[in-house]
Amino acid sequence: MEKKHMGLKAKNRLSNGLVYFILIVISCIWLIPFVCLVLESLRCECTYQVGYLIPKQWGLDNYINLFTKTDFPVWFKNTFIVGLATAAIQTIMVLSMSYVLSRLRFRGRRFLMNAMLVLGMFPGFLSLILIYKVFSWLGMTGANSIPGLILVYTASSAMGYYVSKGYFDTIPRSLDEAARVDGANRFQVFYKVIMPLAKPIVIYTILTAFMAPWGDFMTAKYLAHNTSMGMNVAVGLQNLIAKPESMAANYTMFCAGGVIVAIPITILFMCLQKYYVEGVTGGAVKG
Amino acid sequence: MSTKAEKQISLFDNLSDLDFLRLNKFQAFLYKLIHIIKAIPGWLLNLLKAIGNIIRNFFIAVKNDIVDIFNIFKNGDYKTKTSFLVMGFGHLTRGQIVKGILFLVFEVVFIGYMFICGGYWLGKLITLGDTATVSVYDPVLDTYVLQANDDSFKCLLYGVLTVIFIIAFIYTYRLNIKQNKTMENIIKSGKKIKSGKDDLKSLLDDEFHKTLLALPIVGISAFTIFPIIFMILVAFTNYDGAHDGYSNLFSWVGLTNFNSLFNLNLGNDNLSVAFGEILSWTLMWAVFATFTNYFLGMFVAMLINKKGIKFKKLWRGILVLTSAVPQFISLLYISKIFSTSGLINGFLLNNGVFTSTGDFIRFWEDGTLARVMVIIINIWIGIPYLMLITTGILMNIPADLYESANIDGANAWQQFSRITLPYMLFVTGPYLLTSFIGNINNFNVIYLLTAGGPDNPLLLTSGGAAGDTDLLITWLFKITTGAESKYYLASVIGIMIFVVVAVLSLIVYNVIPSTRNEEDYQ
Amino acid sequence: MAEVILKDVKKIYNAEKHGHEVIAVHDFNLHIKDKEFVVFVGPSGCGKSTTLRMIAGLEEISEGTISIDGTVVNDLQPKDRDIAMVFQNYALYPHLSVFENMAFPLRLKNAPQDEVYKKVTEAAEILGITEYLTRKPRALSGGQRQRVAIGRAMVRDSKVFLMDEPLSNLDAKLRNQMRAEIIMLRQKIDSTFVYVTHDQTEAMTLGDRIVIMKDGYIMQVGTPDEVFDMPDNLFVAEFIGAPKMNTIKTSLVKEDDKYYVTPFGTKLVVDGLKGDALKEKNVEAQDIILGVRPEHVSVTNEADENAIKCKIKVNEMMGSEVHLHVETEDGTSLIVRVPTAELSHEERTKLLAGNDIYITFKAHVMHMFDVESEKNLLV
Repeated sequence: MEKKHMGLKAKNRLSNGLVYFILIVISCIWLIPFVCLVLESLRCECTYQVGYLIPKQWGLDNYINLFTKTDFPVWFKNTFIVGLATAAIQTIMVLSMSYVLSRLRFRGRRFLMNAMLVLGMFPGFLSLILIYKVFSWLGMTGANSIPGLILVYTASSAMGYYVSKGYFDTIPRSLDEAARVDGANRFQVFYKVIMPLAKPIVIYTILTAFMAPWGDFMTAKYLAHNTSMGMNVAVGLQNLIAKPESMAANYTMFCAGGVIVAIPITILFMCLQKYYVEGVTGGAVKG
Repeated sequence: MSTKAEKQISLFDNLSDLDFLRLNKFQAFLYKLIHIIKAIPGWLLNLLKAIGNIIRNFFIAVKNDIVDIFNIFKNGDYKTKTSFLVMGFGHLTRGQIVKGILFLVFEVVFIGYMFICGGYWLGKLITLGDTATVSVYDPVLDTYVLQANDDSFKCLLYGVLTVIFIIAFIYTYRLNIKQNKTMENIIKSGKKIKSGKDDLKSLLDDEFHKTLLALPIVGISAFTIFPIIFMILVAFTNYDGAHDGYSNLFSWVGLTNFNSLFNLNLGNDNLSVAFGEILSWTLMWAVFATFTNYFLGMFVAMLINKKGIKFKKLWRGILVLTSAVPQFISLLYISKIFSTSGLINGFLLNNGVFTSTGDFIRFWEDGTLARVMVIIINIWIGIPYLMLITTGILMNIPADLYESANIDGANAWQQFSRITLPYMLFVTGPYLLTSFIGNINNFNVIYLLTAGGPDNPLLLTSGGAAGDTDLLITWLFKITTGAESKYYLASVIGIMIFVVVAVLSLIVYNVIPSTRNEEDYQ
Repeated sequence: MAEVILKDVKKIYNAEKHGHEVIAVHDFNLHIKDKEFVVFVGPSGCGKSTTLRMIAGLEEISEGTISIDGTVVNDLQPKDRDIAMVFQNYALYPHLSVFENMAFPLRLKNAPQDEVYKKVTEAAEILGITEYLTRKPRALSGGQRQRVAIGRAMVRDSKVFLMDEPLSNLDAKLRNQMRAEIIMLRQKIDSTFVYVTHDQTEAMTLGDRIVIMKDGYIMQVGTPDEVFDMPDNLFVAEFIGAPKMNTIKTSLVKEDDKYYVTPFGTKLVVDGLKGDALKEKNVEAQDIILGVRPEHVSVTNEADENAIKCKIKVNEMMGSEVHLHVETEDGTSLIVRVPTAELSHEERTKLLAGNDIYITFKAHVMHMFDVESEKNLLV
């Protein structure tokens, strides 16, 4: 008996050891690319791809070049502005829609949800063809694409209401009812009861809305239309290494750009991680 | 004891619950499968019926409405009757000044617009223009100048806008009349008509949804609904780079574009072959991308959740950290380090694994290898997010389920397959569908990793080149931005993507129980 | 004068998916007097909560009218109806302290801080929750939370006090305690009460009048005594009282101007008030359902001419009384309630499971119901 008991313990220790081993391997796989990215961005001896990791000559040349020889500051500023505006507008749009669908019952509610479901099945890029044409008449493409980009990101953003509706759905309906009996109108219910309780999802929505423009490629590329002044970081940096000849000249600079973009976003993300996790786990699945 | 043999069960029959319980696992699975397949024609029939019903109901509603409006005219007082001609008259005379003025202004604007240009654009919508912009010799300036004529694009755009405007007017007109009737009824029953102030107040209470929905719906209408209507129409024209609308008009071509996508014998353009090939890869990709992420993400989450594992926050943190880095950076960078002259190959050469550059693995130059690579790298991209989602749900599974399974003698694998997996599939059913659709349209991963490459000569079409890893959505992008700019083709493919997604969703909605009742979650 | 009058109130749900209507409440008519305590009771799904929520304005009234204090409130928002409500799951605002939770209705009215403070502390004093005023709801126990919820309703000084199963989430002991407190509270608050519960004990102990509902219909309205002593129909008879009333299919016989019932081959004369009432109504002999409450069955001996022989299946010792689940020779199950105080030790040993005993029914307190309509023959 005694022996078997020990066996159980040992088995447990073995399996835990295996799990630790796998987790360490996984962590390495996920972290190594970023370590490589940073190391390559600090390499000064050559700008093209090489077969080793540790720079022979360390330095910040790539970073300096990025800011002096390319339009990176403009791309960064563009993306930052778009991110802020998108975060503000999209949050209002998404929260309005999801609150209404979660809490209020009215004629046409089902129809509205079905319509958005069906509309969401069309590839969004298709709409861009018309939007680009109209924007170009209005002079909102190329270098002036920023306001247009914000419009495109936010105008239909309410269609992505699922996650926050899922979260709202978890707040008991009886709180609304109690507040209404206590003398609140629907608007007061919204901002005095539901909003304070929905803090995690509000922050989640702001965070995801702010981060999306940093990674968007398709819309930004289409609207900027090869005009450097109208690009966001994704399009700009991709443009740096799009052609083989520019690839050889700009590769390390691209790495530097990647690091500079990743750092603030990652820090922001880490600070608000708690809310992000709550939002994802609370709302994503129920949507 | 028992004399009679058990009665035979046919899997093709509808079994009673008790008979179903007699089936073994495999039979039960077959039975369900057979019945799902058997049910498909039924769904399609129901769908057709539903569509038929919608159309029928629409016409009945229109008929009833017309009768109703006629009756309102017959029975209404002079204020109501005047409102048939002067919109908002009833409102103005009954004290709803603001509403009345809005109705009236709308009517004036509409009539003005129709007289000035509405009719013109409606006419142009039929032909999409008849005279292209031409260069004309100007004797005064002694040079050729462009003489602006029709622009098919504008004809289509303004034509559609005018149609929408007319529909909006009809709706408003109807609203005007119905509200007159409501006001009459209220006055008859001796109550007071709501003042403008009451109306405003109710926008924060009873009608709060209208307030909140106004902005989102305007946005969706302008930036999604209208462009989609427009692009669906484009699919029936020959709008492309060569027929840009002003130097060379485009026109209605009927179903030609759809034919070319499905017709196998259309000269030397293998559009239909390309479409079939790309569609099948898109679906294959979506299946792999969704399910590898799903199961591996769940696996990692379970590893971290395992009892006795320390530093749970650290492990989770590392993974989440990587998902904070904007995807385009990681995707582009990884795409580069796997390129033929990239870090991986160079590293292996430097360390003597490869003897010469001839040994280089050409990750992005071989179609099959490139496909495998994008799926693997997508796992790398997707696992952190899936890990987060599944962690939350895993922790929600009541612990006593596992305790009771333990006592019942279930081993780890049985616990996973009998408890964890069914629970997860049930809860995440809708999420799986959304992520599957998301993967069908996953532009970023494919475009940033391979840009659709390597190019496949079999897929060279009149719309331009396409590669082995191209999804429908990246193909669509290439067709639009390529030299030929085949907008009509892009529209057709866009519609096909819609059809594929819609059919899949319909099937999934009918099979997965948890997608059905939203109130169940509340 | 806060009367609540429900006139022909109907609740119809449009079940769009199924394509037909579901009627949750049928023509509900009730006149609740000022300062009356009315309890709606019935099994789940009987429409009691729906009716309460229609009074509150949380559900639309499909047909009919509800008036509070003389005003028809059909079109009024809940906030304009001057009502207070306590919910089953307390519905406390998790982000607000106990004080702010109770102050919430006053804050919405923009009441001055002095008044808010005075009213909230007064209510807290009455409910004994003064020491928790600064805490958040999640730091409270179930009973304390329910007090806060009641306190929030109290500070409104509203005309009507609605309570939707307020004690259902509490454990049995706490429930008894809170029930007593509600009775005391009621004496302090001068208001009309409408109380919903599925628990007949709560209904009997709290209500001035009880409204018993089933499937959207009112089965009976009456004081606790009335519904217990004179149930209109079999449903009410079985619903009120614990353990449940025994029902036996048998017949009513009329001989020489006297009525008899004949359960299990015995012949019991129906005399006293019931017999007079039968005579007065000139009821004909017929098959009936006989209702006998477990406390109206007594254990006797073989010698009794109307004794019925049964076998004891289960003996439930409740402390002050014993519940015997017995089976007659024709297989009918009955429940007998025997007060422990009346039994000697020797007698108690006779009542163990497996033994045979003899029982008789107390004829003058039996209830007789029509077999078809299940209506009380005397109503």
